[in-house]
Amino acid sequence: MIELIEVTKRFGRETAVDAISLRIERGELCALVGTSGCGKSTTLRMINRLIEHSEGEVHLEGRQVREFDEQVLRRRIGYVIQSTGLFPHWTVARNIGLVPRLLKWPRAKVEARVEELMTLLGLPQEQFAGKYPHQLSGGQAQRVGVARALAADPDILLMDEPFGALDPITRESLQLELRDLQSRLHKTIVFVTHDMDEALALADRLVVMRAGRIVQQGTPLELLRDPVDDFVASLLGGNDRGLKETTLLRVGERMQPLSPRLLPQARVHRDATLRQALAVMFREHADRLAVVDDDDMAVGELSLRRLVGARRDE
Amino acid sequence: MHRDVSTPNRVLLALTLVAVAAWLLLPLASLAPNRIVPGTPLHAHEAFGWAGALAALPGLFGLAALAWRPSARRLWLALALAMLLLMGLPAWLALAAALTIDPSQPQARMGLGAAFWLLLFCLALMVIELRSRLALGAVAGWLLGALVLAAWWLATPWLEPLALWREYQGRSDQFAGAVVDHLLLVGGAVGTSLVLGTGIALAMRRHTGVERIGFTVLNFLQTIPSLALFGLLLAPLAWLSANVGWVHALGIRGIGWAPAFLALLGYSLLPMVRNTFVALSGVDPGVLESARGMGMSRGQVFWQVRLPLALPVVLEGVRITTVQAIGLTAVAALIGAGGLGTFIFQGLGQAAMDLVLLGALPILAMALAADSLLGALTRRLDPRLASGASA
Repeated sequence: MIELIEVTKRFGRETAVDAISLRIERGELCALVGTSGCGKSTTLRMINRLIEHSEGEVHLEGRQVREFDEQVLRRRIGYVIQSTGLFPHWTVARNIGLVPRLLKWPRAKVEARVEELMTLLGLPQEQFAGKYPHQLSGGQAQRVGVARALAADPDILLMDEPFGALDPITRESLQLELRDLQSRLHKTIVFVTHDMDEALALADRLVVMRAGRIVQQGTPLELLRDPVDDFVASLLGGNDRGLKETTLLRVGERMQPLSPRLLPQARVHRDATLRQALAVMFREHADRLAVVDDDDMAVGELSLRRLVGARRDE
Repeated sequence: MHRDVSTPNRVLLALTLVAVAAWLLLPLASLAPNRIVPGTPLHAHEAFGWAGALAALPGLFGLAALAWRPSARRLWLALALAMLLLMGLPAWLALAAALTIDPSQPQARMGLGAAFWLLLFCLALMVIELRSRLALGAVAGWLLGALVLAAWWLATPWLEPLALWREYQGRSDQFAGAVVDHLLLVGGAVGTSLVLGTGIALAMRRHTGVERIGFTVLNFLQTIPSLALFGLLLAPLAWLSANVGWVHALGIRGIGWAPAFLALLGYSLLPMVRNTFVALSGVDPGVLESARGMGMSRGQVFWQVRLPLALPVVLEGVRITTVQAIGLTAVAALIGAGGLGTFIFQGLGQAAMDLVLLGALPILAMALAADSLLGALTRRLDPRLASGASA
């Protein structure tokens, strides 16, 4: 668990972070979002003390971060940055094994851990272990970056725009992988991004920052439905907000039992998002869809009125 | 990146053409009855007759033929042929000497002519071109060079009348000493400037004030002509030597190795500091930040990340400094520092060009050797050589 209490950071006269308080629960993925220069990266770095806070308290598992030895603290916290920060003169395997070696793990244990992580992140050992970072694609390099951050099995992971430099397709697949990884590992993750779609797709909780202050925090749905001001609303996509909400909801949540009416031709999977359902309707010129399960068996139906959330369907 | 097999290798063809023209039109050597009289030019056809001069050409034409439709096998053959011609170059001089110099004139000597130099130049370029076409590594390059030098060394007994060889024989004891002096001065100046330069570069990185002042001073030093700097150091060093006991005991005088060493050090510092500074500052900040973020200590970040990543650029500085110092040390002979420059200035004073060559050729060889050795070391240390740093 990470807790920030009235934390302020000044650079000279400039106040980068202004008395923010924030609590990140164990196993939660918390996204800090906001425009450039809003203090989100600074906030992240104050947690592993790459930047020392000026005032207030930063707590980690109930202890102030200042009580820890800097290096001990950082070795307990995974850290991933946009440019990957991989050491260009080290092989992939050596890069991943960095923190375990700093922690003086026995050699065999480091090797086993590196192998395990490479498998976990879909980097076949025989193909990648001996490669140098410049021989990797952007997506592969960032996978190595994540593997390196996870190497010593830290409880906490700090990610500073980790997918910001990737092309949209690679970015999306890495986002999916991260979500999948998180559902298995349950790390406490603080994730900085300015890509709102990324934040909505990944975060359990969003923290919107502006000019060094927290403007609003809550679950993605809470923010989408009830933005506290115009700034948050526009950050969340203005009029697109509704569409973004459809990506957070599943067909299964809105479908109705099968009615005696003729089953529509167009179909959609139960676990698809409402956005996907909407896309099928648009493409098929249909206002009703059959909802199917994994075996392609109809389990319900979804009308446009239900999809958009109208209380009653006729 | 092999070229299409059917296109002629233009480099080899052009070089062959130049070599043939030089052989037929320019003097191969010059002959003088003694050391004082200027020589008369001697063309190949004068020494061997037209038949003999033309008989030498098939080797060169063979190269051109192999270059016309190059395949890997033909390029290997061309390399062998070019190496043979290069190694055999002194044989022509020996033959010309035997044919033209009267044995009753023991003072007669032979100078090297334009055709010899051009042939040497063309053949060496051909070997370099073939080496890169055949993608041979640095080690192969050094082996080829050593082979040529060994062949020439073996030919020396027949090159008795060669003026360059005569000059060497007259000074063979001094020569070894001069080479050692030269190397010691260069090695001392470069080694000291590396240690000192790294220290200065580190201090500059810590304090911006030091950075400004440091570069101003070093840039200023660099603009002083070398001879003037030697002169400027003369008076203070002579004074120190006369008044301070331990300075005198160290062997420091107004002239000799001390001012030369100090001046060389001064000139070496700028390229060394500049490269080291740029190298240490140029390391990707993202890499350094993640190194700290992973929990490496300051020392670990410096020794395991910053320094290894800076090393290729630091070595580049050592390379530039070494090549520059090898040349500058020649001038230091003027203030009695010894080294190969001694021969150059003696030769200039006596209008004996071959004595100048005796000093200049080893300096050239040293500079080339230092350049290629340090260059190879730099490439070895940089795993990103092939594709450069990834963005």
